[in-house]
Amino acid sequence: MSSNNNLSMAPKMPDHLETSTLEGKNKILGVWFFIGAETVLFASLFGTYLALKNQHMDGPSSQELFNLWMVGIMTVLLLTSSLTSVLGVVNMHRNDLRRTLFWFGVTVLLGATFLGMEIYEFYEYTHLGHHFTGSAFASAFYTLVGTHGAHVLFGILWITGLIIQVRKQGLTPVTAPKLYVASLYWHFIDVIWVFIFTVVYLLGKVG
Amino acid sequence: MATDSKASAQGAPKNPPERSRKHLIAFAVMMVLTAIAFAAVATGALPLAGLVTLLLIMAAIQVILQFFTFMHLDQKGHFFPIFFTGAGLLFAVIVVLGVWLLL
Repeated sequence: MSSNNNLSMAPKMPDHLETSTLEGKNKILGVWFFIGAETVLFASLFGTYLALKNQHMDGPSSQELFNLWMVGIMTVLLLTSSLTSVLGVVNMHRNDLRRTLFWFGVTVLLGATFLGMEIYEFYEYTHLGHHFTGSAFASAFYTLVGTHGAHVLFGILWITGLIIQVRKQGLTPVTAPKLYVASLYWHFIDVIWVFIFTVVYLLGKVG
Repeated sequence: MATDSKASAQGAPKNPPERSRKHLIAFAVMMVLTAIAFAAVATGALPLAGLVTLLLIMAAIQVILQFFTFMHLDQKGHFFPIFFTGAGLLFAVIVVLGVWLLL
């Protein structure tokens, strides 16, 4: 009896701004669909990588390439950006426009720094003879990590666009689901990175 | 924590202020898990099989934390998201093992 959209079969969700309309609820559900599908996309790339990771021919092996310090800093950056985007959502629930924009802005900056380090990392690897077409290991590595990087880039552009829109329109039942959904996507990118740093870098370092 | 929202009579979303403490604690746990994982590899203190198990457990805990705190799956009304993501993860495991073991 709390709201005016109970006539549908929409699931009961907390009474937040982003779930105040049926459209908002459906957007969130749709993004969860999307995340389920993306999981399978990345699973295929992980499977391919695991199968090919020892086929480095005469190029450098994963033990020779990977630098734990660099990966550690990138991990801290991305984990922190996941926290800042959830702080953005918490402040959105408090209807605090200024803080919402601030935390999403920090998220974008951390994401951009992460991406910059990844580009530098790839640049360095090509100088060490680790080319995309050099070996099966290199192809699988660049495809997996590069697909993740492309997702980070897309997330940066998406959240930047939303910041511009929310600055103009404020926190409304239309803009709130967009921010919420973008933050879900961003957390998912972080989840994928958890597996990349574990399976690719840490396990690649020990062989 | 899922039952704390009864809307006000006007239908406007009115909740008790959401606390960010839960998120900060989850973040601290994730950082510790990450540090343990990196330290375990950097020091090389464990045999390979134990190390792989440890790393995968660390990753799994982190992912569960992300899903249920940061991505709000602990809030009510998330049956379908949990169902879809669970289905995605199930297929993911099948795909990873399938491709890995067949190639």
